[in-house]
Amino acid sequence: MLCGLAGIGDDNADAVAFACVGAACAIVAAVARRRVAAPARASAGRVFAGIGLLWTLLVLFGAALYAGTGSLRSFDDALVESAAGFTTTAVTLLDADEASRTVLLFRGVTSWVGGLIAILIAVVTLPVVLRSTALIGYTTGRRGLDLVPNASVGTRRVLVLYGGFTAACVVAYLLTGLPLTEALVLGLGTASTGGFTGQADSLAGYGAATQAVAAAGMLVAGAGIFVIWWIARGRLRPLWRSQELRTFVLLLAVAIAAMAVHRGIGWGEAGFMAVSMMSTTGFAIADWTGWGTSATVIMLVAAGIGTMMGSPGGGMKVMRARLLMGSAGGELRRQLDPYALILVRRDGETLSRRTLDRLGGHQIAWVVLVGIGVLLLGVSGVSLLGSVWGSVSAVSTVGPGMGEIGAFGRLEGLGRPGRLALVPLMMGGRMSIPPLMAGVGLVLHWYRAAVRRSRFLVVRAEQRRHPRPEPTNGDG
Amino acid sequence: MARRPHLAATDPGGAPLRDRVASTTLHVIGIALAAVSVGMLACGLLEALTTGRDTAALAVSALVTGTAGGVLWYLTRPGEIRKRHVFSTVASTWVSITCVGALPFVLAGTFAAGGAGFVEQIVNSVFESASGYSASGSTVLSDFETPGRGLMMYRQLTHWYGGMGVVVLAVAVLPFLGVGGLELITAEAPGPSSDRLTPRVSETARRLWMVYIGFTLCAAVAFFVADGFSSVYDAVAHAFTVAATGGFSPYADSIGHFDSVAVETVVIVCMVLGGTSFTLHWRAVAERTVPYHRNSEFRSYLAMLGLAATVIVILLWLENHLSLGSSIRAAVFTVVSLGTSTGLSNATGPGSPGDYVTWVAGAQLVLLFLMVVGGCTGSTSGGIKVMRMRVLGLTMLRSVQHTQTPRAVIPIRLGRDVVSEGVVSRVAGFFLLHFLLVLCGMLAVTALEGDLESALGAVVSALGNMGPALGEAGPTSNYAVAFSQPARLVLALLMVIGRLEIFPILLAALTLADRGRAAVRRGRFSLQSLSRRLDDISGAGSDGE
Repeated sequence: MLCGLAGIGDDNADAVAFACVGAACAIVAAVARRRVAAPARASAGRVFAGIGLLWTLLVLFGAALYAGTGSLRSFDDALVESAAGFTTTAVTLLDADEASRTVLLFRGVTSWVGGLIAILIAVVTLPVVLRSTALIGYTTGRRGLDLVPNASVGTRRVLVLYGGFTAACVVAYLLTGLPLTEALVLGLGTASTGGFTGQADSLAGYGAATQAVAAAGMLVAGAGIFVIWWIARGRLRPLWRSQELRTFVLLLAVAIAAMAVHRGIGWGEAGFMAVSMMSTTGFAIADWTGWGTSATVIMLVAAGIGTMMGSPGGGMKVMRARLLMGSAGGELRRQLDPYALILVRRDGETLSRRTLDRLGGHQIAWVVLVGIGVLLLGVSGVSLLGSVWGSVSAVSTVGPGMGEIGAFGRLEGLGRPGRLALVPLMMGGRMSIPPLMAGVGLVLHWYRAAVRRSRFLVVRAEQRRHPRPEPTNGDG
Repeated sequence: MARRPHLAATDPGGAPLRDRVASTTLHVIGIALAAVSVGMLACGLLEALTTGRDTAALAVSALVTGTAGGVLWYLTRPGEIRKRHVFSTVASTWVSITCVGALPFVLAGTFAAGGAGFVEQIVNSVFESASGYSASGSTVLSDFETPGRGLMMYRQLTHWYGGMGVVVLAVAVLPFLGVGGLELITAEAPGPSSDRLTPRVSETARRLWMVYIGFTLCAAVAFFVADGFSSVYDAVAHAFTVAATGGFSPYADSIGHFDSVAVETVVIVCMVLGGTSFTLHWRAVAERTVPYHRNSEFRSYLAMLGLAATVIVILLWLENHLSLGSSIRAAVFTVVSLGTSTGLSNATGPGSPGDYVTWVAGAQLVLLFLMVVGGCTGSTSGGIKVMRMRVLGLTMLRSVQHTQTPRAVIPIRLGRDVVSEGVVSRVAGFFLLHFLLVLCGMLAVTALEGDLESALGAVVSALGNMGPALGEAGPTSNYAVAFSQPARLVLALLMVIGRLEIFPILLAALTLADRGRAAVRRGRFSLQSLSRRLDDISGAGSDGE
């Protein structure tokens, strides 16, 4: 609605569509708040299922808005655009020349909202609301308590930090000489790792200063809300001691050096694209698909690993990848000594076997999701290269990719089935694995309960039809 | 500590065993090389009786290999087998036979065509040998006409040796190994655990080889009949490859050379049986029952192949516009070939229905999935294995159930058996390492020049011991066209790692690294003590003054 208000000054007809969809959204929210009481203690499954429902509703409302404004021709395209926005994926079907300023701004806001929800789920919902140690791989461990002592304080702090960081990005872009709307769109896209610019060639047409601001912003956004918190508090010790940050920086450095040295790509370009891929933002300053196979594989791996915990970005997450590698190394050692006590630690915390097993299960699910995505895209007529890149890129919420997806995420070579196949992948990747699994678990749970109920009803009907004879005493 | 009685025994040659160097690793390598030399000699005889072009190369190779094997065997005796030694023994044996196995190709100048340099010839020979012994079937051979029949038979024989495993063979012929033999078999055998057919490990190994030989004979007879009684050579050569689920053929167009439905049917049946657990085959023969349908892994394996074939038939029919008959013929053969990690092809040429690199991406991706999965545990096939995939799937399902009931204790069952948590962890670790190796392999191969599609296909194919890959390394092409020399060496290493199911090679490397660290520590300690002594001496000297 705010975007619609911004468009009123332009004598923009989109304001009506914005007002209608905004009002409908508000009504649904009000009804839900009034009619549905919050449970005293929500189970993990139901919380996750609720998260899934929230994303779905957001995407549907967004699609209705794009369709209502007529900025996209079909509802399919509107659905893809909306899903890309809320999942912070840098693919777009919008034509910057045709779309109004309001729509461009709204597209940026959807990414920002998506990023905010992702952070709140990661740093508030999972560790504080659920208090589940078994989900530690998805939570923040001890350092989370520092930022989020309880749900309300944590939410407020996250809002302030995320909002402040976005404002800083917007101001920095303004200082490079960009007009307000562009600075806003880029700021929202940078802080949320959404990667939307409103331009057909992403950031390629912007100056070096803008690109430098974008690179710095992506780096901080990819490092996550904890790093912003530590920087804001001037605490350098946790920054230095964070295993995850060290790994993140090391991986980035290796990726940049490998691309620059091996392929002879300029350090600046290599650095920008490596940061863009690893932070899963998806900004591009060149057509990197022609940089050679090894460089694109490095970027694929970087996109797959993704960001740090507490970042609005996607991917497998650096910490999870690190823990899983530790776990795999432990298993390797265990072959030599089956009774060895092998501990996997995270920032000094020892993780239980149960936690690692669950993390392993979730990782398998992530690979399965990528695999399903590859098959879906392949069956939709996308080339093998496009399918692999498209699936990894969509599940990691990056956006651009090789093949039909394109270096700037324009989806030009992608047919209708392929575009639609991206929607569940982006949403699955954004919700991350536990909510997705919880949704499946809930459906399985309901199915089993229904089967049990129907069996019970059949047995009762059978008993009514053929009642058992009353037990009689021996003496009759 | 009392000496084990068998260590005090004497061997047929009369030399007391205690006079020999105690080294299980060298002893097993000696036996493996001796076994390989017997194969080289037999192929040399065949070469002498037929084309006669490469007789000298095979004879010299047999002599060198046999001598090296004999010397190692005679001078060493099996020592105490520790867990660490098991993995290094298996890994060194495989590296040794891969290197020595390249000798006939080098001496015969098989890869000298096209003015290839000496280094390239060696690289290609090692690649072909690694591909052969690991039962992969990837090839760099482009000229199938020049090599003699004996040399081509040796190429087929490398598959056959590698299929069941030379270490299993060593255990079978070496009753000395007794203790630790099961660990050796487990380290080499495909799958998370090896079934013990009898209480004696050497007897188990012998029975496995008996089933393997029997199966090869049956396959040869079936092929001979299906091919219209035309060539014993073709029948034996292809029996070696299907029994081992290898993939080499003496012909450039593989099974497409025969262009016969009968031959393809026989090969399909043999490949399916080759991808099935040999323990089941033994039970079928020994107990005269049909145990296959009672085995849940076998049922899943057949269901997977059936489903993949159905999907591909539909895709080929609708998207590639092939006739239904051609779609079924091409899809079923290719699915079974790649699903069992054999890698034979029924393509009659580039662009023919069996040339799967021309299929739609969806069909190729289904094939890629099959390449990753592979056949059953205890079979000669490669890949992650159906059983492991089931455990992984059930682990994921358990995680789904845990989202609803976080504290529930949910065991993972395969059929009626509960899988222990140790096996579940090991399977998860294996999967992660496999995934990591695919990534590292892709990075290495693409860094050494290779397009992404071919690199992905080749790395998955090499780790799964599949043979042909995707892109430029498809069934009607070869790896020399698609990859540079260093990339071929990386792929050869991946084939050996994949054949041994990752752990032995990585653990051997880990053991080496540990030894290196220990040596550095020892060196530092020695230096420190030396400097301390020097200080003492100089201190004493100054006191004296």
